Amino acid sequence: CSKSFLEHDPPGALEIDVIANKKGISKLLIGAYGALDGQNDNGDMINLNGGGGFTAAPDNWIYGSVVGGDAHKGSTSGDQDDILHIAAFSADPTESFFNDKWVCVYEGVKRCNLVLSTLKKVTDMSDEEKTEAAAEARFLRGHYYFDLRKMFKNVPWTDEDSTNLYIKNDKDIFPNIEADFKYAMDNLPPTQPSVGQANKYAAEVYLAKTYLYEKKYADALPLFTDAINNGQTSNGLHYDLVPFQNNWNAATENNAESVFAIQNNVHDGTSTAANANQGDMLNYPPNIAPCCGFFQPSFDLVNSYRTTAGGLPYLDGSYNTDALAVKSDQGVSSGGNYTPDQGPLDPRLDWTAGRRGVPYLDWGVNPGRDWVVSQPFAGPYAPVKMMYRQATMDEFVDFSEWAPGTAINTLVIRFADVLLMAAECEVEAGSLAQAEAYVNRVRNRAKDPRSWVYKYADDENPTGGFSNTPAANYVINPYPDGDFAAKGKDYANTAIRFERKLELAMEGQRFFDLVRWGIAGTALTAYYTAEGKYKLTDYNGLNPHFTTGKNEYYPIPQRQIDLSTKNGVATLQQNY
Amino acid sequence: RQVGASADQPAVAAGVEMPATAGQPSEVTLKFAFQEIEDKFSVSIAYKSELVKSRKLQFSVDNFRSAEEALEKALTGFPLHFEKVREHFYMVTEKEQPSAGAAMVQDPVHGTVRDEKGNALTGVTVKVKGSNVGTVTDINGNFKLQTPGATGEQLEITYLGFETQTINIRGQLEFNIVLKETSSSLNEVVVTGYTAQKKKDLTGAVAVVKMDALTRQPTGDVTAQLQGQAAGVTVIGDGQPGAAPQVRVRGVNTFNNNNPLYVVDGVPTDNIRDLNPADIASMQVMKDAGSASIYGSRASNGVIIVTTKRGSGKIKVTYDGYYGVQHPKGGNVLHTLNTQETADLRWIAMQDPGNDIYGYGDKPVIPDYIAPKGAKEGDPSVNPDLYYVDPNYTSLDEYNNFYRITKANKTGTDWYHAVFKNAPMTSHNINVSGSTDKANYLFSLNYFNQQGTLDYTYYKRYTLRSNTSFNITDHVRVGENLAFSLVDNPQVGNYSPDGVLAMVMREQPIIPIYDIKGNFAGSYGGGDLGDAENPVANQYRTRNNRSLTNRLFGNIWGEVDLLKHFTFRTSFGGEVGSDWGHSFSYPTYENKEYFSVNQYSQYADNNHEWTWTNTLTYHQVLGKDHDLKVIAGTEANDARSISIGGSTTDYFSFDPPYPTLSTGAGQHNNSSDSYVRSLFSLIGRVDYAFKDKYLLGFTIRRDGSSVFVDNKWGNFPAASAAWRISEEKFMKGIGWLNDLKIRGSYGVMGNQTNPSPTNGYTTFAGVRTSSYYDLTGSNNSILEGFQPYQTGAPQAKWEQDINGNIGFDATVLNNHLEISADYYKKDIKDLLFAPTPPGIAGTAISPFINIGTMTNRGVDLAVTGHAGITHDLKLDATLSFTAYKNTVKKVADNATYFDVFQGRLGNIIRNQVGGPTSAFFGYKIDGFFNSQADIDNADKLAQEKNGPDAVYETDEGIGRFKYKDMNGDGIITPDDRTILGSPHPDFSYGLNIGLTYKGFDFNMTLYGTQGNDIWNNVRWWRDFFGNFNTAKSYTALYDSWTEQNHNARAPKQEEQTYFSTGQVANSYFVENGSYLRCKNMQLGYTLPANVFSKWGVSRLHVYVQAANLFTITKYSGLDPELNGNAATNFGVDEMGYPNQRQYLVGLNVGF
Repeated sequence: CSKSFLEHDPPGALEIDVIANKKGISKLLIGAYGALDGQNDNGDMINLNGGGGFTAAPDNWIYGSVVGGDAHKGSTSGDQDDILHIAAFSADPTESFFNDKWVCVYEGVKRCNLVLSTLKKVTDMSDEEKTEAAAEARFLRGHYYFDLRKMFKNVPWTDEDSTNLYIKNDKDIFPNIEADFKYAMDNLPPTQPSVGQANKYAAEVYLAKTYLYEKKYADALPLFTDAINNGQTSNGLHYDLVPFQNNWNAATENNAESVFAIQNNVHDGTSTAANANQGDMLNYPPNIAPCCGFFQPSFDLVNSYRTTAGGLPYLDGSYNTDALAVKSDQGVSSGGNYTPDQGPLDPRLDWTAGRRGVPYLDWGVNPGRDWVVSQPFAGPYAPVKMMYRQATMDEFVDFSEWAPGTAINTLVIRFADVLLMAAECEVEAGSLAQAEAYVNRVRNRAKDPRSWVYKYADDENPTGGFSNTPAANYVINPYPDGDFAAKGKDYANTAIRFERKLELAMEGQRFFDLVRWGIAGTALTAYYTAEGKYKLTDYNGLNPHFTTGKNEYYPIPQRQIDLSTKNGVATLQQNY
Repeated sequence: RQVGASADQPAVAAGVEMPATAGQPSEVTLKFAFQEIEDKFSVSIAYKSELVKSRKLQFSVDNFRSAEEALEKALTGFPLHFEKVREHFYMVTEKEQPSAGAAMVQDPVHGTVRDEKGNALTGVTVKVKGSNVGTVTDINGNFKLQTPGATGEQLEITYLGFETQTINIRGQLEFNIVLKETSSSLNEVVVTGYTAQKKKDLTGAVAVVKMDALTRQPTGDVTAQLQGQAAGVTVIGDGQPGAAPQVRVRGVNTFNNNNPLYVVDGVPTDNIRDLNPADIASMQVMKDAGSASIYGSRASNGVIIVTTKRGSGKIKVTYDGYYGVQHPKGGNVLHTLNTQETADLRWIAMQDPGNDIYGYGDKPVIPDYIAPKGAKEGDPSVNPDLYYVDPNYTSLDEYNNFYRITKANKTGTDWYHAVFKNAPMTSHNINVSGSTDKANYLFSLNYFNQQGTLDYTYYKRYTLRSNTSFNITDHVRVGENLAFSLVDNPQVGNYSPDGVLAMVMREQPIIPIYDIKGNFAGSYGGGDLGDAENPVANQYRTRNNRSLTNRLFGNIWGEVDLLKHFTFRTSFGGEVGSDWGHSFSYPTYENKEYFSVNQYSQYADNNHEWTWTNTLTYHQVLGKDHDLKVIAGTEANDARSISIGGSTTDYFSFDPPYPTLSTGAGQHNNSSDSYVRSLFSLIGRVDYAFKDKYLLGFTIRRDGSSVFVDNKWGNFPAASAAWRISEEKFMKGIGWLNDLKIRGSYGVMGNQTNPSPTNGYTTFAGVRTSSYYDLTGSNNSILEGFQPYQTGAPQAKWEQDINGNIGFDATVLNNHLEISADYYKKDIKDLLFAPTPPGIAGTAISPFINIGTMTNRGVDLAVTGHAGITHDLKLDATLSFTAYKNTVKKVADNATYFDVFQGRLGNIIRNQVGGPTSAFFGYKIDGFFNSQADIDNADKLAQEKNGPDAVYETDEGIGRFKYKDMNGDGIITPDDRTILGSPHPDFSYGLNIGLTYKGFDFNMTLYGTQGNDIWNNVRWWRDFFGNFNTAKSYTALYDSWTEQNHNARAPKQEEQTYFSTGQVANSYFVENGSYLRCKNMQLGYTLPANVFSKWGVSRLHVYVQAANLFTITKYSGLDPELNGNAATNFGVDEMGYPNQRQYLVGLNVGF
């Protein structure tokens, strides 16, 4: 009697023998995708480690874009100041943001490993089915480890066979990541039943990207080439570029350009924004959104979109000079008179940075100062790419929590990125013409009038549609035929790198690119100087300073070093 | 005196018929026979001494199984008979002999004897001092005495448990005598684990709470009343009606749940919050292993035994009630800058302070309007015709069309008093009780209503109690104790940076409460007005929320005397409870950050717990010197709960009762949860006394718990001993010493409260917010996915609290002073803690494992004294003193500390090996950098040790903090963070002082803590201009570093907050939290009984009272008494609900 009296099976939970079968594996796989956004929710918008959703944002807007100079933290002093310290490289290893990121991504790894270890116990699946499930899990594991590798460099590798929690971070895990993506590429089908699933080409591109980060250009190039020529999305669309803005619109996402994306959604029955894009929850202009005015594009970024009369960028950096810098409303109140910049501009600017006098999606003509929290603190610009549209917000935005969550997908790799990565490899292979062709394909898409911002038909009715009048003086052209070949490899590289800045701005890529290229120190120092002219107060006294040989990677979180210390012996070593 | 010992408690004694084989009973005096009966059956026998004089008989108490039987036998052959006056009390009187009375010639002296509460006392001996003339009072407390009537004669009134009184007769015939309970309580019967003992026989550390002082505190919560009333017990509460205070017995014993176990009328329970204080007869705190180990796995946090009242004597009706008003502090409570000062601070702190509100000039200009920003009276933009706000909007399209017009509050809104107001509180208690020789009964009803000083908070409670017991035969007793409560208690989140209380200190003064049309005003409009919320609006929106908790608690029991010396007792008790509530979230519009969703939520849960206890008690006095009591028993406990909840959005109308879970047009959401846990226990106890001098106790409990998988069973033994040294011959000569007992105990107490019931299982789950995923790219749906949910620890076992205690109890100076002191040491081994694993383990719930160790050592001291200063003026005082030192010895294999995350400053609390739990952690401030030279000097030293690029401190600057280089490496790094303070007091103390003068009574209770620190996080918001645009403090404007004021409190005010100012945890926030508070002051008057007796009123006491009258502290925050439940992160002030001053008038009436 007393034996059974003292035994109660846990309510509302499953034990391993219940899920070690075909159905269970499919659910475990979904769970492995479920960690892609790094987010959870307990009524507050928290990440999987319990911190703020933004600290583990999968688009790395802090670690890739704010740190890389695309943008300022925004909002006001005192509000998530950690981000300022991270961006000034004065955050130390005890910074909790780093720990959140680490733990949330490793949770993804853990779930992939759970799929793989459980598969070994499954008896109702064929070998093919098991291989395909394993391939999908290994793709995701590769993705998680890639994120960790580019953030923290040497990290411990744990897989489905690991039982030890104390694993050294003394090896480069790129070979393991390659193996995962290779396995995925070899065993995933070209199309998938669900668009959110990774397919063969996503794995191919991610493997190539891994090679690129390792500077194995020759290994990467054929994979990129195959993907460009033959690749298709999981839903069977041949890879292609779509009108620029369609990448960040829940109504037009999962299009031909989407190589791999995190599927955000709203109104899913959870009554929370948990599965929405929580990572960017702070990054909406105040007064049109309930929160919070973070992630304001930098002057340097905006000025980069200045084009020559011939529609080409100023690769020499002169765009920041007084003569060329884009006119801003810094210091001008919304009530005052203001005429926006009249000079030639790359049209991608107005899909990237919201500025005064230009239609801001379908929200109306941007009134400037009223739509930023503090101009003196972080400048006059507002982010655009991940902002939701007014007309469709009932459908695509969740307002049930203290900050909005949107259904706009988080793009991990899009086709324009593939083209520009391939261009880098072509340069290394000596094919400057092909590199130029890829860059120009990206520029021609931007030149396509379907990718431009237009004035409203009626400024008073911004959701009523657009006129045919471009919102600004857009002048953009591809590089003249043979320009790369004529000016050589360095020029080609400069052009490609600048194109990445323009095309992928605010997408969490910039800092990782700068590090990969080995120019983070010079580029960021130049950025601090250029941006310093504007005397914004957000870095006052912080003295941002990139230390070469140290700041290429974020510190291994002190918390993890401490937690991985057993009986006084540290398992993890700091990465610099 | 009847305290605690009562029929429904475990048998105190059991009479058993014994064959007279032990030889003929010897001849003893009648007086001795009575004493034997008293001792054996724990009864009191009252008699006139003349009645026993020279009377002898053959008598052995062992031959009888009840007091009645023994008395019957003893009185045979004498012209005497006895009467059972009430439970455990008998009176022996002469049989009616009318002629004897008639023979007397003097007028009879007569009168009544009552206790201080006006209850008639039966069996009180009243005699003429120095003579044999005497009598005892009858059932109504009346006596008649034939005296010689000489003027010089004195009446001597004696009664067990009461002070002896001597009154000059002086020819007076009628006497209304009030007896005062004696403070010497050695014979007080104390309910302990599964038995009852006389206080003088206790071997463990038991604090017996003085109920009259306890119930004087005007609160509905018994645990709150316990503050300062028992040595070794720390109680910290706040001012929120119904908020449970933190109760800790002998410090912190584990990292998580430190709540003691409560045992109410023999039924264990986790909470007694809904217990009506007026129903409590006695309360004992079992502190050491000797006393508490009998509760085994639930003993480690201490055990508080509560016995409720029962009826006695003739039917009585009493009414106790009070009404009072609670006053929030007046004035500028939070030292908030007004509107002009706020603007001035902005101009001081910022390089470019201009904004649309205050203008762009050299000096700020307070505008007429804050919406539209900075508008002036007469602007076309403030034309009221433009105004459009619909507070009950349902779509964002409507919201986006709002046109707000809000005037600036040029003097500044007093947000504190916008939500904190005077509030009434009242309590009414009716009690009907009585007993016959076959039954006793008690019925009580209480209505308690404390309105909160904060809008829309209150605690409303109805309780009903019925206790009855029946003596079916002399050997069979049954009874029940039942209490039912109904509670309605809306609360607000306390100490939360985003709670409504924090908004009171964050919302800027320029913002008015309402806009021009009476809708709410707020921070709408962006950064310059901050991002706080209008606290008046937040509370107003809770006005229709309702909840109700009900609970039925009690037990039924039966007791049978069996065979020789045995009593079997069974008790089936527990509780059934349920609660439900609903709330509505209105859309908001006035704040910078708004909610556009309207949502109705509802929950209900149901819980029940039963405990079935069976004990067999053997008690025998062997010879004259050996008293042996053995108890063996079993106990089974099963606790379950189930809860459901739901919410729906998008309501057509927000007016109740329209919103239900069914009527919303939007998303429907539901949830459920359940809990089940069981325990099975074997109990053993041996108490042995030799010559009433040498006392030994052994207890053991073997517990099995469903919480553990592989190690279900644990044993918890304890031994204790005491030596009543004053009973030794060599001590007899010491006149000032009445009693001295030395005690010691050693044993193991257990704990299992930390792990969840599923701790032993590795599980997986589908979690919609984290493992479900929109794999199909639908944008509006998710597919089920699984994730690791919990890592199991099947090997987990009981936490062990190995406890040694040594102490003494002394009664000295003719029973005027009682001292009880204990020193203890606890080693908590196998402490259950859920260490955070390395990140590669993922985020599944990590299990509790037996990894930590901790020690506590401390001193408890209780002193009770009473003195008659003059004949009428009496003083009573009790002091309780509690000191403990808590030390964490081990946290986990992989860590020497764990931090507790505390909001925007990151980790401010570190639970570190070698220190106490919840220690404050950060950089230690070593003054300001007062000049560039200071900075250069620091850098120079830094560079000497760390190379030419080194700087001493990140963000170093003039007017900012210089941190102390703790490790001496010349630069400030995270390694320089150190323990900055501890929220554990060096000691805490409570002092009750009582004075009586004729009919007047005065009482005062003081409570204080000494040597504890507080982390005042409110200063983070308000003392640093750069930390959000909140309302700022006087300190920010008037006591911050400037070139002229280097001796400032706060650093230089700057637009930004830095590592070297308020951006990281540092010692700026740590303050001395010591305080002394007058918890209660009461002045009462008892009207003479004869004034109202014609209306049947036997007692009438009226009083006026002030609670929390004054507080002496250096703490700069609102209230140094900070509630908070976690042992690992307490003592942090982030704006709490302060304790309020209360003024009351009260009435106690007995009929």
